[in-house]
Amino acid sequence: MAVSSYYSIAYLALFLPIVIILYTVMPKKVRWLVLLLSSWWFFWCVSGKLLVYILLSSLSIHHGGIWLSLLQKERDSLMETAADKERKKELRSLYKRKQRMAAAAIAGLNIGILVFLKYGAFFGGNLNSLLALLKIPAVVSIPSLAVPIGISFYTLQAVSYIMDVYHEKIQADRNMGRLALYLSFFPQLMEGPICRYSETAMQLWRGERIRHENLVSGTQRMVFGMMKKIVIADRLNQFIKNVFTNNSNYDGTMTAIAVVLYTCQLYMEFSGTMDMALGCSEIFGMRMPENFRQPFFSRSISEFWQRWHITLGTWFKDYIFYPLSMANPMKKLTSRARKKLGNHYGPLIAGSAALFVVWLCNGLWHGAGWHYIFFGMYHFVLILAGNMTEPLFRGAAEKLHIRRESVPYRAFQVVRTAALVCVGELFFRADSLRIGLSMFRNMVTGLSFASIRNGTVFQAGMDRKDFVIVLIGVLIVLVNSVMKEKGIQPRKWLAGRPAAVRWAVCYALILFVVVFGAYGTGYVPLDPIYANF
Amino acid sequence: MKKGIRKAAGSVVFLAGLCALLIFVSYLFLPKNNMAEFGMDEVTANGILGEKENSIDVLVVGDSESYSAISPMEMWAQQGFTSYVCGTSGQYLYLSDTFLKRAFEKQQPKVVILETDAIYRDVTFGGSFMNRLENLFSVFRYHNRWKSIGPGELFSSVEYTWTDDYKGYSYNAAVDAGKNEEHMNPTDHVAEIKELNEEYVAGMAQFCKDNGAVFLLVSTPSTVNWNYERHNGVQQLADKYGIPYIDLNLMKEEVPIDWTTDTRDKGDHLNHSGAVKVSAWLGKYLKEQYSLPDHRNDSAYAKWNEALDRYKKAVGQA
Repeated sequence: MAVSSYYSIAYLALFLPIVIILYTVMPKKVRWLVLLLSSWWFFWCVSGKLLVYILLSSLSIHHGGIWLSLLQKERDSLMETAADKERKKELRSLYKRKQRMAAAAIAGLNIGILVFLKYGAFFGGNLNSLLALLKIPAVVSIPSLAVPIGISFYTLQAVSYIMDVYHEKIQADRNMGRLALYLSFFPQLMEGPICRYSETAMQLWRGERIRHENLVSGTQRMVFGMMKKIVIADRLNQFIKNVFTNNSNYDGTMTAIAVVLYTCQLYMEFSGTMDMALGCSEIFGMRMPENFRQPFFSRSISEFWQRWHITLGTWFKDYIFYPLSMANPMKKLTSRARKKLGNHYGPLIAGSAALFVVWLCNGLWHGAGWHYIFFGMYHFVLILAGNMTEPLFRGAAEKLHIRRESVPYRAFQVVRTAALVCVGELFFRADSLRIGLSMFRNMVTGLSFASIRNGTVFQAGMDRKDFVIVLIGVLIVLVNSVMKEKGIQPRKWLAGRPAAVRWAVCYALILFVVVFGAYGTGYVPLDPIYANF
Repeated sequence: MKKGIRKAAGSVVFLAGLCALLIFVSYLFLPKNNMAEFGMDEVTANGILGEKENSIDVLVVGDSESYSAISPMEMWAQQGFTSYVCGTSGQYLYLSDTFLKRAFEKQQPKVVILETDAIYRDVTFGGSFMNRLENLFSVFRYHNRWKSIGPGELFSSVEYTWTDDYKGYSYNAAVDAGKNEEHMNPTDHVAEIKELNEEYVAGMAQFCKDNGAVFLLVSTPSTVNWNYERHNGVQQLADKYGIPYIDLNLMKEEVPIDWTTDTRDKGDHLNHSGAVKVSAWLGKYLKEQYSLPDHRNDSAYAKWNEALDRYKKAVGQA
């Protein structure tokens, strides 16, 4: 069965309805099993035998969690019988070390598989280049390995589970099925969100019945996601592909338009897929964490990353940034720096070091390529610069009597942030760092109105009518975003309207997708972008 | 309970309303004539829609092998029965099935030929489902017409008027020589036919049976696409469902294809001279085997003779 994505006919017309029916007719006690077997079926359809990797991850965190739990129990019982404080301290330290070893082994195994499968070729290739540069006559053989779908997502979930058990935020789960379902729940498998055990495991396990309200609301969200993907992202595909692939044939304006459109496409594809994932979860009565919160209303890059791919950002914050910045050497560094540089710049030193690691990992997480590392470093520099210059801007604004909360200033900040994000996405989308730099140069030096005046812009895969449809789609998303920004939940708002209004909106949205969707003859649907990370 | 029934009824009404809307929008987007300027897809194959009612004796469906190897005008000139090739490039069996059923809405062919290359093009659930959806609501097939459709066209009535002088055949006289090597080496190996593909063939056979037509499987010569494993696979399928099967790849005396002159792409497809050989034998066989009528002197078929003149001029036989 060709279940290749959440938008495939096989998924929408066969897989999902079968799962919904089975889930409904099965007794509550075994509904989790329906979800687990469906998830593995989904994984099998997309990645075949590579299913073994997610099974291995599930097994490793199950056993690893129990191992950690046993160490904790052993420590606690020894602590109870410990003679004095000194002995307790000794025990605590001993078991801390043991637990750290255990957690590192399990997390290391999972990350090791990810690194081996996803980054083996990248590191091997770079090592070979280095050996050649140093004129060392050795070549590392690089095996060509298939990467299972969603490995970057479920590995982070596996690591978060182990770290949470290690930090005793959660109890180790002895139920292998529940853990396996937590890792492999099919709606989140391809592009996330990256969930925590405490957020979703019990919801998935409970097997609540499907309620009419959830079915309606979840389906509405899925249709909205389809609109973002099929009407907007897929329609933009040909233009973006043309300009990015044959950039030397286009001037700076075309490059700039393609960069803006790519940023739009990435958002529509990723957030659309999140709507598909969260809408589907909602049908089963589950609330998954949101991954987007109107990111293009951000006033700074730092804020952007609190609104874009939120679950990845919080994962890096909780499992890399905090542990690093709160480590003893960092604390000491902060304390010394605070004395010399003051309360603003002092903590920035240690924070920046941790931030550097976070953004290096963030870049690498997105893919094995120097342009992804550059993408991470670009955002690191922007956030660091933002942190460092904040007092200067604040002071300057006060002196110049600029109200930073005024609408024009906020609008300026939003546009500036969006522009910086777009530049970052250029490197993100470019096939290599060299091509990215070349495109950036082209964009900066080759700006003119010629391609708009002579109509080149309408000959690169999208005509005027395509642009109009994309614009309408974007406006629909914008209205939805503005409502959310004002604290109104569009679907809740719609649910409170008379049936005629509700139905008219739903019919209009469905017809908009059916008629203006970029599918059928002449269109190549966009592959799920984040599923490849 | 009452609330539950009300909600369920509401959902049913909503879905019924959606279906009604899709039917309405489908009508708006439906090409009102079978020409390219009206937005018709696969214009050549859909030329059959413009043919006079109950005027086609033999219908051919299949992929590019079918429209490259079978020339209805050759068969008309030599045998006097009418035929039409609803072949399209890379045709999947669900499309063969669609063309078959669409043709039967206006025609009553006595023989239906499925060119067998399409049997080995794997049908996916998604493709098959989408095709059914497109057949049910044509807006899914023609939605891209939103760019070109004019307001005057939206509500006008449907009238298919265009016919193809070549009757679905694709004339190509180019020669890109292949090698006269044996491509049908006997073996017991059987090339597997996917379950969904088999279902489609069985379904088409049943449909023809129900409509009083003979369903026939024909493998036209191709050194690239055909081999003995595939022959065995189709033979097994034919035996299983009692479908007559002719493999022209094995009939070198009856259809003497010279791969140095009769192919346009190194043995993948036949060119015109290859098609003339295939059509000559196939026409004679069909006429004799199924007692097909000769309409050449029937005034009701005068247009076929006119089309033949134009065809001959085009292919250089005037």
